[in-house]
Amino acid sequence: MLLNPAPPRDPAARGRLSGALLALVILWPLFRAAEFKPGALFDSSNLKVIGHFLAGFLPPERGAEFLAYLGKATLETLAIATAGLALACVIAVPLGYLATAAGREQPTLNPLTRSLLTVLRGIPELVWALLFVRIFGLGPAAGVLALGLTYGGMLAKVYAEILESVDPAPAHALRRSGAGRLLAILYGLLPQASKELASYTVYRWECAIRASVVMGFVGAGGLGQLMDQAMKMLNGGEAASILLTFMLLVFAADGVSGWLRRALDTPPAARASPFGWRSISFLLVLPSAVIASFHWLEIDFGELFTAGAAHSIGEFVAGFFPPDLSSDWLARVGLGIWETLAISVVGTLLAAVAGLLLALPKWRAPFSFLLNTLRSVPELVWATITALAVGLGPFAGALALALHTTGVLGRLYAEALDNAPAAPGHALRLAGAPAGLSFLYGTLPGAAPQLIAYTLYRWEMNIRMAAILGFVGAGGLGQLLYFELSLFHHAQASTVIIAMLILSIAVDQTSAWLRQRLR
Amino acid sequence: MSFALDGVGLTHANGFTALSDITLRANKGERIALIGPSGAGKTSLLSVLGTALAPTAGVAEILDFGQNLRLTAGLKALRPRIGTIHQAPPIPGRQRVVTAVLAGKLGQWPAWKSLASLLYPLDVAGARATLERLDLADKLFARCDQLSGGQLQRVGIARVLYQQAELILADEPVSALDPALALATARQLAADAEARGATLVASLHAVDLALNCFPRIVGIKAGRIAFDLPAGEVSEALLHDLYASEGQTLPTLANEPRFTTLAAANDPATRAACC
Repeated sequence: MLLNPAPPRDPAARGRLSGALLALVILWPLFRAAEFKPGALFDSSNLKVIGHFLAGFLPPERGAEFLAYLGKATLETLAIATAGLALACVIAVPLGYLATAAGREQPTLNPLTRSLLTVLRGIPELVWALLFVRIFGLGPAAGVLALGLTYGGMLAKVYAEILESVDPAPAHALRRSGAGRLLAILYGLLPQASKELASYTVYRWECAIRASVVMGFVGAGGLGQLMDQAMKMLNGGEAASILLTFMLLVFAADGVSGWLRRALDTPPAARASPFGWRSISFLLVLPSAVIASFHWLEIDFGELFTAGAAHSIGEFVAGFFPPDLSSDWLARVGLGIWETLAISVVGTLLAAVAGLLLALPKWRAPFSFLLNTLRSVPELVWATITALAVGLGPFAGALALALHTTGVLGRLYAEALDNAPAAPGHALRLAGAPAGLSFLYGTLPGAAPQLIAYTLYRWEMNIRMAAILGFVGAGGLGQLLYFELSLFHHAQASTVIIAMLILSIAVDQTSAWLRQRLR
Repeated sequence: MSFALDGVGLTHANGFTALSDITLRANKGERIALIGPSGAGKTSLLSVLGTALAPTAGVAEILDFGQNLRLTAGLKALRPRIGTIHQAPPIPGRQRVVTAVLAGKLGQWPAWKSLASLLYPLDVAGARATLERLDLADKLFARCDQLSGGQLQRVGIARVLYQQAELILADEPVSALDPALALATARQLAADAEARGATLVASLHAVDLALNCFPRIVGIKAGRIAFDLPAGEVSEALLHDLYASEGQTLPTLANEPRFTTLAAANDPATRAACC
């Protein structure tokens, strides 16, 4: 037996402690800035207002006239989402191909494409919509263009990353045997990545439905406009009917996504043509849906490219330069940045805790409906409700973010926990460990990287959302922008948009760094 | 008595019969090797002993505990006394070795201690002492995904040694180790069981290792017990019969000189050196 000196100290302890302290030092002022006061939820006067409002939800409005409006608005929302996503795909496929390192023999990133994508993604779709409404007037065209640009940037980035994340060996082998890059990707990478690409695209379509709802708030038509009117008149019955319609749409999108994944999983039939009834009907339905959407919305893109339109665009854009950089204004924008950051961090953290609790295996079944409901209502709609519950201000924004994000993260967490290896937890159960501890020691470590990555990705999305929650009075940069734009103070608005862009880039970088560190 | 199986059978939900009519008893402190061709039912038998699977026929009594009752409260008390070494170590890659080893006591520690140990490992000395016996002390604070397959397998063994179970079940515990290390590790396992008077049941692929380190050998074939003999009485003919489906050569650790002949392997001197 060796000499047994005193047991060594845990070398990781110091790092853990300082990490926890650092997190506390950073989070404390952020929670302060978000005016985190859970007590406000239980304030009697607030409770009365929200209770009164929610009581008005029942029964949902079912009048024939309203239902006709609702049906038309639903179709419009679907059409905006579909047309916007089609435009996004047209933008995303070539840009993603240019940006990705997949299939390149020397993985060089394309910095130019990447920074273009960052700008497209960094400005929230609602801000694009607000700008396009100014150029093209009220109506769905602004919404479609805004969706196309933002989602084009997002899809391109994610397509590029998915292609980079699959096993590169097949594509490398093809390239070395003389295939071009495009063919190497099609033959070597696409079969591995197709499921992921398809389900992400459908997921984005679902997001586009929610986003097109939100764009109604700035006058781009669809369900959002209807919702805006209902909320302004505190008409709970109509709001309830509209919310139920959201849920139906989101559940339907879920169903389509599941069907598509299963279809891609089905082994091919034993014949030369790879197209079965599913692919053929899909190939028929998809273009006709896109064409029908553009037709329904009566968007004439030819009109957008006339000399007159170009002139008015040029004039409008010129109004934004130079941005207002006076120290007074910069100080206010700085405060807005800090508040927006606080809303996004607090909202995401609250959602991570609630989502994990709701995703725990034992409790899952009764709560999956709750998660889907939380998820199907857009943040901006939640914000109009939380503003009633806790009053206008950043805490209402953080709560709204938290509610929607809980639905998203809870679902993703549940999937990640399902996919985590079961053996470690099972083995601990067999050695007599209680269920909770087997989860903490066996299952959670296996799923943790996935959970952390999902949370951080969500934070990247939430910073963009937090930036626009101010449109309904939840503080932060959005409030400044909305205010200045309605006063036609374009130089000031331009500073705010630049601040949003910088903030979202900074959050992307921080999130990537944290993902690397916590791996 | 450590366990008693009486006419135990195990038929899976899909209709496949993994075990039939197994009658096997072991006294406290016995060391038993299960050998047999792959698919014979060794892992199923260990799963029944480890309360992972309930037998579909017969009676299983484990550590004086009628398992067929399936009382949850009883199982909760029983399971911390059984330690299972799995063929593929069931340890999350991101966990540190020290935490993976300490997890062996989760069934015995109070909940507060297990929770606190996630923040700071509460028994570093105990974990290190266990790892030292398996020649792994230098990996105490390494992350499990930085270890080789053989090192990870020994971490799995260290966890069960640390658990101090009364009944140790080992499913191919040394399959990922090179011959010399496999022998040393099997010895360590046997020595630990002997020192604490614990019962050890191990399924082994290498016949020579089984004959060397275990006084009692149980041959399993097609879900039934083919023979149950002291190691000295296991003849080459019996073994060839057991492994008839796998060809002429018997599976052994490696072609190391001291293991080439069964006669030498059965030599009392060799066995004394081993265990």
